[in-house]
Amino acid sequence: MANTNDMRVVIVGSGRTGLRTARLLDDRGHDVVIIERNPERVADIADEHLATVIEGDATNAAILEQADLGRVDVVASMTDTMGTNFTVCTLAAEIAPDIRTVMRSVYETTSEYAEYVDEIVFPEQAGARATVNAVERDIQSLEETTAQIELLEIRVAPGAPVANRALADIRLPEGSVVISDIEQAEIASAESVLRPGQTFVVAVEPAVAEEVRQLFRG
Amino acid sequence: MGHKQRKPAAELGLLDATMIGMGAMIGAGIFVLTGLAAEIAGPAAILVFTLNGAVTAFTGLSYAELASAVPKSGGGYAFARETFDDVVSFMMGWMLWFAYMIAGALYALGFAPNFLELLHVYGFVPPLDAVGAIALPVVSATVPAKAGLAFIAVLCLVALNAVSTAASGSVETVFTIVKIAILLVFVAFGFLSATGGGETSFTFQNFDPLFPGDDSAFSILPALGLTFIAFEGYDLITTITEEVENPRENIPKAIFASLGATVVIYVLVVVVAIGTLGAPGLAEAGEAGIARAATSFMPADIPIIQNGGAVIVFGAVFSTMTALNAVVIASSRVAFSMGREGQLIQSIGQLHHRFGTPFVAILTSAVVMLGSVVLPTKSAGNMSSLFFLLSFIIVNGAVIKLRRERPNMNRPYEMPYYPVPPLLGILLNLVLTGVLITYLLQTDQLALLLTGGWILLGGIAYYALEWARSSDSETPSSEDTIDQPGVETGVTSKEGGN
Repeated sequence: MANTNDMRVVIVGSGRTGLRTARLLDDRGHDVVIIERNPERVADIADEHLATVIEGDATNAAILEQADLGRVDVVASMTDTMGTNFTVCTLAAEIAPDIRTVMRSVYETTSEYAEYVDEIVFPEQAGARATVNAVERDIQSLEETTAQIELLEIRVAPGAPVANRALADIRLPEGSVVISDIEQAEIASAESVLRPGQTFVVAVEPAVAEEVRQLFRG
Repeated sequence: MGHKQRKPAAELGLLDATMIGMGAMIGAGIFVLTGLAAEIAGPAAILVFTLNGAVTAFTGLSYAELASAVPKSGGGYAFARETFDDVVSFMMGWMLWFAYMIAGALYALGFAPNFLELLHVYGFVPPLDAVGAIALPVVSATVPAKAGLAFIAVLCLVALNAVSTAASGSVETVFTIVKIAILLVFVAFGFLSATGGGETSFTFQNFDPLFPGDDSAFSILPALGLTFIAFEGYDLITTITEEVENPRENIPKAIFASLGATVVIYVLVVVVAIGTLGAPGLAEAGEAGIARAATSFMPADIPIIQNGGAVIVFGAVFSTMTALNAVVIASSRVAFSMGREGQLIQSIGQLHHRFGTPFVAILTSAVVMLGSVVLPTKSAGNMSSLFFLLSFIIVNGAVIKLRRERPNMNRPYEMPYYPVPPLLGILLNLVLTGVLITYLLQTDQLALLLTGGWILLGGIAYYALEWARSSDSETPSSEDTIDQPGVETGVTSKEGGN
C-alpha cells in the first residue's frame, strides 16, 4: 500500500491478546480494524476509540469482507480457538491473495499449520517468561510484558525524515530515547548518524510510538 | 542525550472540542461574512445564517455518525478514505485541502481591513477607505494594503506552525471564549442603544423591508452559498478526534453544541449589526462591517482603551487571526494525511526531523494561501464555500455507502431517521452548489475558473502520481534489498512474543 509504512491491519478477536495487539499497532499509527463477536466487548472497544469495529463472526465471509480486505495488509487472527484462527487466515488469503496472515496458536508446537499461514504466534510464551521474571528476580529476560515503555528495534528507512542525520540534528518527542545501534553494539551519542538500513534500539512511551515510527520509517 | 525534546499533544475535553468547532465557525466568518451577506440579502441576512445552520445540521449528523464509527483524525478525508475507492477519496482530500487553504486566504483578507480599522480607531492611520496602498521599499513597488497585510498575516502563522506544534490544542479554548465574550458585549450594547435615540441606535425599522428592492425570497440563496463556509467547523472538530477524551460521546456532542451555539450567536450579532447600522451601511463596510457597527454605538469614554468600539475591532482582529491559525493547521493536516496514505508525494506525509511538524505539508499549503490573498474577499469566500459544499456531499454519501456495505460495523452514534438526513443533506447541498455556480457564472467567473482549474489540476496530479508509482514498482526499491528475513515492517518490539 502506497509509499508510507502505515499498514491496515485486521485483528480478529479482541480478548486480552487481541486487544493489546490492537493497542500497540494503533500507538504506532497503523490503521486497525477489529472484528469481534461479543457485543459487550464491541462496546468496550468503541469507548477506547481505538479501531473501526465490525461486530460478527469473522469466519463468515460476509463479515470478514466488511473489513475491506482489498486494502488490508495483514490479518491477525487472535482468538483462543485454533479452528477459528485457521479458518479466518485461509479465508482471508482466499479472498485477498496478497494479504499476510498471522495466526495465534494455543499450543507450543503447531508446525502443521506453517505452510498455510505466514506467521504463527504463541503469546502464552511471553506470559510464561514474564512470570518467570517475577519468580526469579536475579535474572530477568528482556521481554518484560507489563512495562509501559517499549524497546523497539527500528530500521531507518531510506528517505525517512531522520535518514542520514546525526542524532544531534534531530529532536525526538519527549518520552523517547535512542539507546544504541544494535549492529555496532555501542551507546548512541549525539554524533551517531542514522544511516538508512541501520537498525537502532529506541525506547518509547506508547503516546509517542507513532511519531517515532513516522520519523524513522517515513 | 544531548538533543532537546518536544512535548506530546495534550488530551482535549468536551469543552475544548466544542470550542475548536466554534472557534472556526464564529471566529472569522461572523466578522468577515456578515457585511458580504448583507450586501446580497439585505436585512434577510439573518435568515441566511439560520437557513445555513439548518442545511448543515444534516451534514452534522453524518459527521457525528462517521466520527463515532471511524476513530481516525483527519476529518472528512479520513472518512472518505475509509469508504470510497482511491479516486473519490483523493478528490475529497484534494477539495477539502483547497477549501481550507482558500479559507485561510479569506480569513487573512478579513484580518487586514479589521487591523487597519483598529489602527484607525487609535489614529495611527487614516480611515480605511483612504488607505489605498502601502509602499514596499524592498520590492520598490506598491501593493494594495489589504493584500499586503493579509500576506504578512499568513506568513507569520505559517512560520509559527512550521517550527512548533504548540500553537494547536487547548489554547484555542481560551481564545474562543474571549471571542464569544466580545461578541456578547457587542450584542448587549447594541440592544441597549435602542433607547439612546441616536442616529445609529438599534431600531427594527432597519429590517423593513426584509427583502431588499423588488427581489423575492430567492434572492437570498446566493448569500447562503457565499456564507456556507461559516459552518466548516464540524470538519475541524473531526480532524482532532484522537486527541479528544471519550470521543465516542464527546465528538457528536461537540458537533451539535457548536452548531447550535454558533447559529444563536450569528443571529444575535447580525440582528444587532443590521438593527444599528442598517443593511446598506453594513454592506458598505464589507469585511469590517461588525467593527464599523460597533464603533458607531459603543461608548466612547472608557479609560485607557478610549473607544469602546475598539474592543469589538480588537475582537475582529483577534478572531480572524485565530481562525487563520486554525485553518493553517487544518489544511496542513489534510495534506499530511493524504501524504501518509500515499495520495500525495511522500515528503508531504513526513514529519520534520527537528520540529516534529508536518513541515512540507505546511509549506505547500502556504504557497496556495499566499497566492490566494490577491483574490477579492468575496471570490475567496465563494470558492471556499463551494469546496466545502462539494466535500459535505461526499461525507453524506459516505454514511449511506458504509451503512449499505458494512452493516455490521459498530456505530456508537447512529443518526435518527436514517436515510432521511444524509439524503436531505446531499439534496440541499446540491441545490446550494447549483445556486452558487449559477451566481458565480453571472458575477464572479474568476472564482469559477479557479475552481475548475483546481479540480483539473487534481485530476492531473492523481494520474501523475499513479504513473510515477507504477513505474516505481517495476524497479525494486533500495529498501527491499536490505530487508532482513522476518523483520518485515522494519519495527520490531523487544516486548513481543518469542
